[in-house]
Amino acid sequence: MMLEGISNDGAMPVLEAMIRFAGARQRLIAHNVANIDTPEFRPLDVSPREFQKALAAAVERRRSGGRVGDLQIEGGGNAPFEQTPDGQILLNPKPEPGNLLFHDRNNRDVERLMQANAENVTVFRVASDLLRSRTELMRSAIAERA
Amino acid sequence: MYGALDISTGGMIAQRARLDAIAANIVNKDTFLDGAGKNNPFKRRVVHFAPGDPAATSPRAGDLGVHVARVEEVDSYTLKWEPNNPYADANGYVKYPDINPVFEQLNAYEAQRAYEANLAVAEATKAMTSQALRLIA
Repeated sequence: MMLEGISNDGAMPVLEAMIRFAGARQRLIAHNVANIDTPEFRPLDVSPREFQKALAAAVERRRSGGRVGDLQIEGGGNAPFEQTPDGQILLNPKPEPGNLLFHDRNNRDVERLMQANAENVTVFRVASDLLRSRTELMRSAIAERA
Repeated sequence: MYGALDISTGGMIAQRARLDAIAANIVNKDTFLDGAGKNNPFKRRVVHFAPGDPAATSPRAGDLGVHVARVEEVDSYTLKWEPNNPYADANGYVKYPDINPVFEQLNAYEAQRAYEANLAVAEATKAMTSQALRLIA
């Protein structure tokens, strides 16, 4: 119980969810780039903004419950993501609409893909750096060091 | 994140296969004889991609990614009037491959850029993995 309280307290579950989401989204970005020349291909993606909204709502719900316990992320009925009981984030992406169609009917947009890649790496890096500092703080507390 | 590197690797493999076909097309643009020494010109190779990667080693990457669905041999040729060529037909024409080196060069540039894009994502995934490993280091 005490250990669960340590690893589940404060911002740690939020950071963990962000890392899991960015990790899962990286697969989609890699898929979109790999298919940049595939005829009839439509890129797949999940809006990070939508996920962040659902995450913020989950934090609010958790805060009202005393800041301890699992973070329940609910995206709604048609959400492009879901949380498994073990905390994993599964993405259910939909093909992206819009953009100019090329002669091979591929909906490529290499600039947006690279932007998504850079943003996703940044989100992952920030979340993992913050999680690392939290972990180090915890480690210091356990070792009774300042 | 696991599987993202597999997907990017599959993308690079597919683009490399495309570049191999382009290289074969350029190098054989004047090859008008087959292995048996007959006037049977080299057929231009075109690589076709499709989503999904059956060769992916990570189970999560199989549905995503890209693979070479088939390599098409385009059955077309051009005729050149070379009456003195020993391989000319009765009308003095020799069949040559229907390969435009400018077009092939443009395709090569595109394949190169797509390869680089896959490499950029692979580098990003590697950075994310090492970042994650730092958590437990």
